[in-house]
Amino acid sequence: MALGKIKADTLEHSTAGSLDTQYVVNGSAKAYAERTVDATPATTSSLNVASLTDTGTGDTGYNLTSAMNDDDGPVAGTNSNTATDQGMLGRFETASQMRSQTRDSSGNLVDKRVSVIGFGDLA
Amino acid sequence: MNTPEFQGTHLFDRLCWAKENLEAYQSDYRVVYEDSIDECAKILVPDPNWMAAALQGGILPPVWVYHELAKDEAQPDFVKHTRGHLLHNTKPVEAMTEEQAIEYLIMKDCPQHVWRNWDEGNKPKMVICRKEQLPGTREWRNAWKITEELSVTDLAA
Repeated sequence: MALGKIKADTLEHSTAGSLDTQYVVNGSAKAYAERTVDATPATTSSLNVASLTDTGTGDTGYNLTSAMNDDDGPVAGTNSNTATDQGMLGRFETASQMRSQTRDSSGNLVDKRVSVIGFGDLA
Repeated sequence: MNTPEFQGTHLFDRLCWAKENLEAYQSDYRVVYEDSIDECAKILVPDPNWMAAALQGGILPPVWVYHELAKDEAQPDFVKHTRGHLLHNTKPVEAMTEEQAIEYLIMKDCPQHVWRNWDEGNKPKMVICRKEQLPGTREWRNAWKITEELSVTDLAA
């Protein structure tokens, strides 16, 4: 692959100390997506997502292109109405699918614009 | 733009290259499928960045790689993937047409028991359609089903 590469195990600042680059690699998001709230939702901004599975009201799967090592990593996110709703519940359903659920203040699943981010180790 | 020689490059790095260099493409195709009679129909929507990579060629691994990883994950003693190298070291697939990309995506992201037997039973378990053929609102979303008036014979014709 003809891309430039800088190889380094450590980054060192003149006064603030040093940082192992493994923290950068391991701590970076491995997938993200934003889901629209249209009649048939779609992903807009995304990375490492092959498709979205609309499984029902307020319930969405994000199928990864480059799978994770396992399904143990955290999935974080927001929905478009965090003021009155319960925010977003996210998790890895499998090593190759993130899942988000959004609920209203009564706990009922409800469709919202959602942004999800997945962390962990890639396979 | 030509795709760099990507065999052996981590798939994630290829996706970063694709996102930076290719124009996203939003397909109008949608895949509607039912994997349980007790649940509503699910809708598979291709991602625009993934579709750009599929149309470009030389980026995505062959779909059988995903099936191998799925087999590993289905094992009761699965802890973590040990054959991720298949994603990165297998020769990438050539450029696909939009229709071929949808077929690939079905085999990758729909349950195998759905797409392998989509035309068995009283009605099709899976339908490829255009976005505008789906309901225009989310009303009664959890009751959406593939219509029983749709016959496999009609679809094949």
